[in-house]
Amino acid sequence: MADIMNLADIIKGKSYQVSGFTKSSTEYAEKLSKMGFVVGTAVALAPVQLNDPMVLQIRGSRVALRRSEAAQILVEELNNA
Amino acid sequence: MHKIERIAIAGVPNSGKTSLFNRLTGSRQRVGNWPGVTVEKIAGTFALKNSKVELVDLPGTYNLSADSEDQKVAERVIRNGEYDLILNVVDATNLSRNLYLTMDLKERTNQIIVLLNMVDVAESEGIEVDADRLSKDLGLPVIPIVAVDKASVEAAVREIEMVAENLPEHDSHASRLDVMDTVKKYAFIDSVCARTVHEKKDRSESITNKIDNIVLHRFLSVPVFLLSMFLTFWFAIGLGSVFIDFFDIIGGLLFVDLPGAALASLGSPEWLSVMIAGGIGVGMQTVATFIPVVFFMFLALAILENLGYMARVGVVADRIMRKIGLPGSAFIPMVVGFGCTVPAVMAARTLTNKRDRFMTIFMAPFMSWGARLPVYALFCAALFGAYSGLAVFLIYLTGLFMAIFTGYMLKNTLFKGATSHFVMDLPLYHRPQFGAVFKSAWLRMKNFVKKAGSIVVMAVFVLSMLNTIGIEEGQVTFGNDDTQSSILAHGGKAIAPIFEPIGISRDNWPASVALFTGLFAKEAIVGTVNSLYVTMDRVENSVSPVEEEEGLDVAGAVTEAFTTIGEGLVGVISSIDILGLGLITEDQAVIQDEIGADTAVLKHISAHFSVFSAFAYLLFVLMYFPCLAVIGAARQEMGGYYAAIMAVYSTLLAWSVATLFYQLVEGHNFLYMFISLAILAAIYGGLYYLGSKEKGEKMPVFAPPIRKSCCD
Repeated sequence: MADIMNLADIIKGKSYQVSGFTKSSTEYAEKLSKMGFVVGTAVALAPVQLNDPMVLQIRGSRVALRRSEAAQILVEELNNA
Repeated sequence: MHKIERIAIAGVPNSGKTSLFNRLTGSRQRVGNWPGVTVEKIAGTFALKNSKVELVDLPGTYNLSADSEDQKVAERVIRNGEYDLILNVVDATNLSRNLYLTMDLKERTNQIIVLLNMVDVAESEGIEVDADRLSKDLGLPVIPIVAVDKASVEAAVREIEMVAENLPEHDSHASRLDVMDTVKKYAFIDSVCARTVHEKKDRSESITNKIDNIVLHRFLSVPVFLLSMFLTFWFAIGLGSVFIDFFDIIGGLLFVDLPGAALASLGSPEWLSVMIAGGIGVGMQTVATFIPVVFFMFLALAILENLGYMARVGVVADRIMRKIGLPGSAFIPMVVGFGCTVPAVMAARTLTNKRDRFMTIFMAPFMSWGARLPVYALFCAALFGAYSGLAVFLIYLTGLFMAIFTGYMLKNTLFKGATSHFVMDLPLYHRPQFGAVFKSAWLRMKNFVKKAGSIVVMAVFVLSMLNTIGIEEGQVTFGNDDTQSSILAHGGKAIAPIFEPIGISRDNWPASVALFTGLFAKEAIVGTVNSLYVTMDRVENSVSPVEEEEGLDVAGAVTEAFTTIGEGLVGVISSIDILGLGLITEDQAVIQDEIGADTAVLKHISAHFSVFSAFAYLLFVLMYFPCLAVIGAARQEMGGYYAAIMAVYSTLLAWSVATLFYQLVEGHNFLYMFISLAILAAIYGGLYYLGSKEKGEKMPVFAPPIRKSCCD
């Protein structure tokens, strides 16, 4: 079982899955869930250089989030077997 | 099966719903607003089964929760069953992000047909979607289409006609039983996608990825962004301005000169000619001059949006704009605002969040530069000599500072409440469809002329009347424009003491009268100051200025109008000085030549103003009541209430800041300093009060209907 970390700390080239929010039922958490950031959804950094806002690859599309706000999203690394 | 008269298209942003809408309705479109809100409503008609059907393009949303005004509008009309059929456009290349809206729709109505769009793009990317299976899983009819392709849409219309026959009876509560929470919805969507979407091969490096590697590059993103913003500005303001003189001359001919001549030849009384040609006509001419910049600005916005670059602007500019509490997309209105506030106010509509949009509109006038430049140039040439450049630069910096100050203050007062988070979807890049882009700009410009135009014409009418009507010894006279006998001049003289604290003495009343004509457009201050100072010289002789009666030369005017386009085009292409920086000079001959001021005026200005009072006056001009066209545009975008707050706010702020400056550096009157500080505090308090009031009103109350007892 991989460690839970926050989305702002993920590394390029690795895959992760959403495991929750630091605080659930906030406006932000609700908004992102509706956009597809639900538990178990695969997420990765898009291969672009921009650092902040960070560009994520999720559900086949690209979404940009502020790094500071993305820290509210918890993820765990997927074992790429 | 009930009759279908009204159809709504729903879909997430960039799902291609607008392409479909354009394809179906062609030129039979109109732009307006949804009742009660400032959300744009795009409606049109098309033929379904040989009968005319109303079609509306709902705002693009990812879901139907009440996060934004757009979503609330979409939710309301669907829940209320205002439309007989919902066409839900979903993007086949990105099904899992699109189906959430479909789930939300299903909870509210059962009259839905899903249009699976961009099946061609999906195929080229190696994605195959099983439409039959999708239909079975969703329990809704699904029709694959390519919205940009004419034949595909025509075939889809025939299928819609057939499918609509077999839709179940309308029931808004059809699926209410299985309302799911977000997690369950996505679990369902994931299982649907697993069964219906087959990715044949690894999705290769797409064009979008390649472009994003540059556009969202850590370092390259900045020059690309700056270049795109420069081009936007050049296009909207530079190219748009080329046609201003043309519209001004033709507008003057059509609305002022010709009606005036016609009325005169019919022997109409003078007051009637003055009201129609000089009042309403001048108002229409004023609106006409804004048509080119507003149109080119909407064109620039539509191109950026259509390309897919608009979302990237939001991302790249986020780091700067978040510091003042606005999303990156607010950068564009600010850039456009450099040239002219009217298109800047209109450009703010690209912001989805209402609070962000209103804040941007409040801030935009302080950034402005274009129209006020002749005023700055005139005063600086008269007083600042070699320091003209520096003085104008300082005024500009003050404007920038005031815009940011306004942002900070509004965030804590009028628009306090939860800040919006930054979540930006990055769509695929598209080749722009010029027909659609052109049409959208055209419709929005038409809407501006209709909505903002009517109020501008009214306001200009009133102001023109005050400017032209003079009352002397019980005699009412006309044609007193820019003289000291007009009602406006009397009013200006009467309130001149108000401007004493900013360093304008009572005998310098032309400066205060000019503030009124500045409401037409700030550069009008130059003309008024010019003619009033000149007539001031003859005041002892009490010679009334001789009106130069010019014959009406239609052919000449038309020729001149077209010449301006040619000259303007040469100018805008051969020079990068779109800001007109060449105006800021100590060479008084250039000033006289470029802005048509008399030599005497420069002498009058240096006689009536000190260096500091002139600077205070320019500060006031920078900030006070935006011109009538801006207020018209602001009213169109925010409603009359907020437009009024904006006008009062900017004028009070202008007075306080100008007074504070002047009293600190030259006047040294503590009472005035105290008053201006008190006004600043009052502005803060007032906005805070209005903000709290608004918040209280906004709380939605969904009280259950109270049942009367059965036996009453």
